[in-house]
Amino acid sequence: VVCFTVVEKKDGKTTVIEGVIDPTSEQPQPPNPTASCPIYRWNLQNKYNYTDVLLLSQFIRSDGGMLPRRITGLCAQEHTKIVICIQMAHRAGLLPDHKPPLPEGHVPKPKSNPPLNRYLTRYSVKSVKPIYKTGLKWCKKRMSVGHPALKNNVRYSPKPLYIKH
Amino acid sequence: MSSFSRSAQQWATFARSWFLIDARMQPPGKIASMCSVRLQGKHKPIYHPMSDIGDHVVVMNTRHIAFSGNKWEQKVYSSHTGYPGSFKQLTAAQMHKKDPTAIIKLAVYGMLPKNLTRRTMMQRLHLFTDDVLPEDILKNLTEELPQPREIPRKLSEYTQEERDAFPMLWTPPEDYRMK
Repeated sequence: VVCFTVVEKKDGKTTVIEGVIDPTSEQPQPPNPTASCPIYRWNLQNKYNYTDVLLLSQFIRSDGGMLPRRITGLCAQEHTKIVICIQMAHRAGLLPDHKPPLPEGHVPKPKSNPPLNRYLTRYSVKSVKPIYKTGLKWCKKRMSVGHPALKNNVRYSPKPLYIKH
Repeated sequence: MSSFSRSAQQWATFARSWFLIDARMQPPGKIASMCSVRLQGKHKPIYHPMSDIGDHVVVMNTRHIAFSGNKWEQKVYSSHTGYPGSFKQLTAAQMHKKDPTAIIKLAVYGMLPKNLTRRTMMQRLHLFTDDVLPEDILKNLTEELPQPREIPRKLSEYTQEERDAFPMLWTPPEDYRMK
């Protein structure tokens, strides 16, 4: 899809009408243009993860919030998957510039502990309780990693995806 | 190498090497399994459980370890000294704040064989919270091991050309603002 602007030039009696192609507006064509969801248009159904920040940043606002589905045109399942990936990316610290704006003149309190590194966090940090009694082997309370919505993602290694650690 | 003299070949097989692992943004379990393999000597073809052929392992940046999932809040380390009322349960986050090397130390301790050689192997493990290592250990290091986990890039680490080269998946409608 190419966008161009029409430019008219007059030299006395001759008028030249030219279509000037804007070089920044030349977009590559999606491989599957006849699909309602942008992810199905580009055949990225099971191929993205929380690390693909370039893809995820196209669907978020500048303060990190998600854009509504009626605007982006995503189908329901892909919208939820992208929301999950964006949450995991925020918690892993991969989107440092998309934080909500602090009120003016607000000095952040000196934090007693520096933020801990984490990745593939399913639940929000403040909502999780410690597992004081894990239980016996046959009824162990496992710690969940990642999200079951992403279990159909393409795996290039023979090992299966472990969600319960 | 077979081109060495016999004494040099013998020295090369039985010498104790020093490995370096950078634990920045790495899961502590994977680091601990790599450490335990090399502390026991299982990476050598001359391995035998009774012969003391483990190597030294130095782990740096243990303060910047990364747990997957919500393990910082969910994983609980319990200890009991035997006296009544001394049952302590600490979450991984509290443990890490108290002692940044404790998580890897306990992980490696649990992965080593449960016999009397375990204590000597733990003495050969050297843990450091940051990348500042003492001089005598720096002089002994022979090899650095590759990190088990690929660190994902943040959005700020991508160059403007890479961001422009990535195509826009969807076009926003003209009357929508606030992005």
